[in-house]
Order: sequence, then C-alpha cells, then structure tokens
Amino acid sequence: MIDFAIYLVTVAAIWSVLAISLNLQFGMTGLVNFGQILPFGIGAYAAGIGASLGYPWWVGAIAAIVFAPLCSLAVVFPTRRLSQDYWALITLAAAEIFRLTMLNTPSVAGGADGVMVPRFGSSTTALVVSLALLAVSFLVAERISRSPFGRMLRVLREDEVLASTLGRNPMRYQASVSMVAWIMGAAAGIAYGHFSGYVAPTSFTVTETFIIWTAVILGGPGRNIGVICGAIIIQVLGVSSRFVAQWVDLPSDLVANLRLALFGLLLVVMFIYRPQGLVPERREVRNAARD
Amino acid sequence: MLQVVINSVVYASEIAIIAIGVSLCYSILRFTNFAHIQLAIVGGYLAYTFASIPGLPLPVAVLLSAIATGLIAVLVDVIVFSRIRNISPEGKMIVSWGVALFIRSMVAAIYGGSAKVFDVPTEVVVMQGAVFTTLDVTVVAVTLVLMVALHAFLYRTRVGSALRALASNYDLAVTRGIPGDRLIRLMWFLSGALAAVGGSLIAMQTRLQPSLDLIILLPVFAAVTIGGISNVFGAVIGAIVLSFAQNLLVWIDFGMIFTGKPWHIPTQFRDYIAVLALLIVLLMKSSRSTGGKK
Repeated sequence: MIDFAIYLVTVAAIWSVLAISLNLQFGMTGLVNFGQILPFGIGAYAAGIGASLGYPWWVGAIAAIVFAPLCSLAVVFPTRRLSQDYWALITLAAAEIFRLTMLNTPSVAGGADGVMVPRFGSSTTALVVSLALLAVSFLVAERISRSPFGRMLRVLREDEVLASTLGRNPMRYQASVSMVAWIMGAAAGIAYGHFSGYVAPTSFTVTETFIIWTAVILGGPGRNIGVICGAIIIQVLGVSSRFVAQWVDLPSDLVANLRLALFGLLLVVMFIYRPQGLVPERREVRNAARD
Repeated sequence: MLQVVINSVVYASEIAIIAIGVSLCYSILRFTNFAHIQLAIVGGYLAYTFASIPGLPLPVAVLLSAIATGLIAVLVDVIVFSRIRNISPEGKMIVSWGVALFIRSMVAAIYGGSAKVFDVPTEVVVMQGAVFTTLDVTVVAVTLVLMVALHAFLYRTRVGSALRALASNYDLAVTRGIPGDRLIRLMWFLSGALAAVGGSLIAMQTRLQPSLDLIILLPVFAAVTIGGISNVFGAVIGAIVLSFAQNLLVWIDFGMIFTGKPWHIPTQFRDYIAVLALLIVLLMKSSRSTGGKK
C-alpha cells in the first residue's frame, strides 16, 4: 500500500511539472503548444541514450537541458508573427517528428523497442527527486507569474498588439517563456526516464500531450496551483482505472480507452461549462503609479 | 518517372479528400478542426462494419458510411461546437482535440486495437513499366468525381453561393437573410461525408486500425497549410504539391548524385518531407506578413 502511495505521488509530481510547464506557455502567455510531450520526450530519451552510451546520468541530463530550449527556439522562430493555429501545427509536427525519428532509427535508441534507463536507487529517491523538481518548478513559475515579466506575458496573451504598443517585442517574451517551460518539461522527462527505467516511442504520442492539456484545462489555465490539482486528478483517475479494470473484470485495454475517452470528455465539458477551470485565475488589480 | 507520377496522384487523392474538409470548416468557422482526422477514421470503420456485418457491396457500404459520418459530424456540432461559437479560435482548436481524443478512444474501445483489412478485389496493372492496381484507379476516380461535384455545388448552385458568402463575410451574409446555422450544419455534413470517403479509401489501401490517425495527421495538415488554410480548393493543390514532393524526393537517387553509391531516402521518412514543406511555407508566410496577426 505504501509502495503504491509513493508510486502515485511520484507520477503525479512528474505530470504536475509538465502541467506547470504547459501552463507557463498556454495559461500565462497564450501559446497553444500541441507538442508539450516533446520536451518531456527529449529529457527521457537523453537519459536513455546517455545511459546506453555508458555516460553517468548527469551527462544525459545536461544534454537534455541544453537541447530542449534550443528546440523551443527552433519552433518559435518560424511561427513568429503568425497566429496560434500555426504555432499549434508546428509544435504538433515537431513532437510527431521526434517520435517518428526515435521509432525509425533503431541505431539511436532501439526503435520501437525503446531503451533501458538505470532506475533510481529506491522508490523513495524517485519520490524525493520528483517532489523537489515539482517544488522548484512551482516556485519558478510563481516567481514568473508575480513578476512584471509575468504581467507582460498576460498582456501578451490578451492582446499582442497592445503589448507591441507598450514597446515590448512579443516574440522575445514568447521565446524566453518557452525556453523556461521546455527546460521544465525536459527535467520532468529526465526524472520520468530514471523513474520508469524504460523509454519507448509509445510513451510520447499526441495522446499524451492531450492528457497534459486535460490536466491544465481541468485545473484552471493561468493558475499554477490549479494545474497541479488538475494533474493530480488526472493521474488518480488514470491509476484508479486499473483497479476498476481488475474489479469489474474488463479487458485492460478497453478500460484504458474508456479512460482516454473520459479525459476527452472532461476537456470538452470543462471548456463549455467552466472555462476558467476548477481553481480559476485570480483577477489582479494593480496601481501602475505605486508599482 | 511515370511510376512517381502515378504514386503521387494516388496519394494526393487520398490526402486531398480529407484535407478539403479541414479547409471547408476553417473557411466558415475560422478554426482548425483537429477532430476531422478522427471523422475519417470513423468513416473507415463504419464502411468496414457495413461491408462485413450485413455484407453489403463495398460502394454501398462506403456511401452509407459517408452519410452516417456526415450525421455524426453534425451531431458533434450540435453537442459541442455550436455552444462555443463565440470563444477564441485557440479555444475551439483545443476543444476539437478533446473531441478527437474522445472519438479516437471510443473507436478503439469498440473495435479494439487489432488491424482490420478490407476484402477488396483488386488487380495489378502494368503499363509502360509502371505498376498500379485497379484500386488505385478507383481511388483517383472517386476523388476526382467528388472534387468536381463539390466545385460545381459551391460555384453553380444557390446553396453553394450561400456557403461561399458565409465564408467570405459571415455577419454580412446572415444579415442578408442567409440561414447561417442551417448552412453550418450542411457544411459539417459535407466535410464529415468527404472525410468518411477519404478514410475508407485509405483504409482499403492500407489497413484499418485506430493508430491510422497518426499516419494521416501530418500529411493532411501539411497539405492544408501549403494550400492556404482558408481556401477550400487550396487544400487540393497543397495535397498535390506535397505528394509530388514526397514521391520525387523518395524516388531520386541521392547517393548517385553525391557519393556515387545508390542511396534513397527511406520511405518511412516521408513525413519528414511533409514537415519540411510545412516549415518552408510557414517561414514564407512569416516573412511576408509584417507585424500584427495574419
């Protein structure tokens, strides 16, 4: 039982980091990233490839943390000055291309079979690392959220033209927030790789991206505490559905599909009936003269 | 070379017929509908069901599937999209993914993950060194007929003109007495039905499984973007350009040109060409539009 609780908290912490990362991009800045799984995949695969080449864990970790923000720039650059439709498409395409590369080049990371990653020494280590990662991400995101930089991100989300008239370059803000967010995503990926001990392309499909989206929309875009709640609810639903499967004796892949259908339904229902999420973003009133 | 042309035309037909629904939806409702891919998959599965359980002939099964999928698209609009007409395009896009996730999982839950194969009687034809099947001919013919019919409908009938009026200026068209809601339903029916035909054709050419959506996702959206998303027949041009680019690049022997040893781009890297084309188009658009949103 206690093992199970540790497992659940670890998983929820890792996915909360991903949700915070997406919240920085979408909730705060309005960037529609449909490839949120990409930085996560980069982190996990860097851990795996680093280990398979025989390097210590921190080599893979550093590689991921350097590579992920560079990727984010590569994605931001072509879509500058274009609407969010294109940002969505390009992030989606980038994530799919990454998955396909890993799938089609067995020499790099085992292709469809994936690659083994050395596990954390014990499940408690995994728990502590994930919670520490969550704490750091949360503090960074909250710091950004409360800073003048974060307020400008919100201005950007509401009205890009307004931000430009204030003398700010929207593209620079978008680029810097994506770099921070993608580093978080990569860090979550590294932790996930060492936690699960195994990395394969099936863990990084479009569907996984939308599980993160469901968490963010459910919790409340723009509010870090909210998206953590969302991620926890989603993970608890996900894990408990396995017990339901054993209990009512249905095939596990059927239950897995019904669970995904439920996530899709949650996303749609939340958007129609409660777009502000379970924990809505607080309205901020500021006196410019006093600030 | 003839083989490249044939392969390109067949692939372009399959992609175009699905891509056109995305453009149709965008031109009127101004959002990118990611659930459209799932409608194609639903169409494929329904055609399979009609063809295997009551044992209907394949053309009838596809026709029934097109009608049923069109109605499903209308139903999705009534339940979901009609409630969120006034939110931002980003919001609609995200909702469309929720819908996609729901439909995809329900299809997988009902039909299971194993691949289904259509029992299509097909013969191989060899003509001047190029090989194709009678199924390929059917695919191209069906697409051509549907495209011509759609074009005639949009440009030669009153209802078609009304749809185009909605696409060019929704508010003005509604003020002038065009029944916006009813025509939006019609648009959903058309795009769902076309998606179902496209999905069935692709499923006949390959195999039907829930993960087929990941295979057609990138080419379809690349084709739509290349052709210009708000232009309905732009999607067809986009599909043709994309398909020729993919098949040519896979066909050219790059090894002979650069190193003297035969080497081709492996066919599983076709999607990279789609994304590359997408990137080039985005870079071009990005440098063309100066300031503001486009």
